[in-house]
Amino acid sequence: MQFSKLAVCAALLLPATAMVAVAAAPHPAFKLRHDNFEAMGRAMKSTFDQFKKPTPNLATIRKNANVLAAAATKVKGHFPVGTGPEAGVKTEALAAIWARPADFAAATDRLVDTTKGLQAAAAGTDLAKIQAAAGAVGGSCKNCHDSFRKPRG
Amino acid sequence: MREAAVPVKLWDLPVRLIHWGFVVLLPLLWWSAESGRLGLHKTFGLVMLTLVVTRLLWGLVGSPTARFDGFLRGPRAILDYLKGRGETARAPVVGHNPLGGWSVMAMLTLLGAQVALGLVTQDVDGLESGPLNSLVSWDTAEAAREAHELLFNLILALVVLHLAAIAFYRFVRKDDLVRPMVTGRRRFSEAVAPPHLAPLWRAALCAVLAAALAGWVWLGAPPFGARYPWDQPALAPLDAADYM
Repeated sequence: MQFSKLAVCAALLLPATAMVAVAAAPHPAFKLRHDNFEAMGRAMKSTFDQFKKPTPNLATIRKNANVLAAAATKVKGHFPVGTGPEAGVKTEALAAIWARPADFAAATDRLVDTTKGLQAAAAGTDLAKIQAAAGAVGGSCKNCHDSFRKPRG
Repeated sequence: MREAAVPVKLWDLPVRLIHWGFVVLLPLLWWSAESGRLGLHKTFGLVMLTLVVTRLLWGLVGSPTARFDGFLRGPRAILDYLKGRGETARAPVVGHNPLGGWSVMAMLTLLGAQVALGLVTQDVDGLESGPLNSLVSWDTAEAAREAHELLFNLILALVVLHLAAIAFYRFVRKDDLVRPMVTGRRRFSEAVAPPHLAPLWRAALCAVLAAALAGWVWLGAPPFGARYPWDQPALAPLDAADYM
């Protein structure tokens, strides 16, 4: 009796959980872009941490510049149609990304350009130039966040 | 019971200024964070740091009613006060009562911890960060942000408790605690020895020390003997492998 009740419950629940699992499996782009942005955030922090040190480590800055340049090229492809706020997945991406694709492309291109600029500056040893180039990368982050990322609060 | 003896000056100017400073700063800090004005939030945070540190120093060298050794009492005194028995409960309290003293300490601890977390935290998009963020790892800064949000709720809870206690004293005990915190004076039903308030120059010294600490933190807490912030740092020497 007890067992059969359990079996009936299980039989009823199993397909339900399976359906939930299917419905809840988000598009892989959500995690891909999240991880990509986090990698960029870590590289940016690590770079600016070096600027605050009495003797910044150029090798660390170069490594970060490479990470940033590689990650920047992926951003544009991380926002396929259907992965916006309408997907029902927790995201800070604004619908403007898909409503104004040309502007979004310009913003991601600017990120690609500035990260290449940082890579070029970090190939040399002029710290002032490297800092200016890193500042430009930060500016391109902010530029895109201002228009295409949900404001905080 | 009221309107009997002469008013006694029990809260000195530093205690009152810092108290009302907290009242003004807390909503400003909340608003500046919620609306994303993080530059402003950091400035307010450093003012908060200055106030908290000044108050902590004042708790060591300030007036008797401001000092921790005066108002932090043991569990026996708190129990006696709550049950309304013993010497502590019957004598009029000139200053914080045994329970209120610990609530002051709890508030200062929470505010101090909140400022400390704010110094190392970073914003969700990593574009803004506290002045000491470069001294901690990314993961520590992320954990600090979560704790910073949690602690704000604890501070809010303590503020609610504080307001509830004031209302209780006002309406149940018929004791107005707000006015004395504004004027510094309150009347007692019996003659009490007025506390000997500490000189203001000492408070100014505490404030200068606290502001110096805040300024040093604002510069990113450079080690002593460090280069001036406007000098260019020199690059660390590279290994041969780094040129590859």
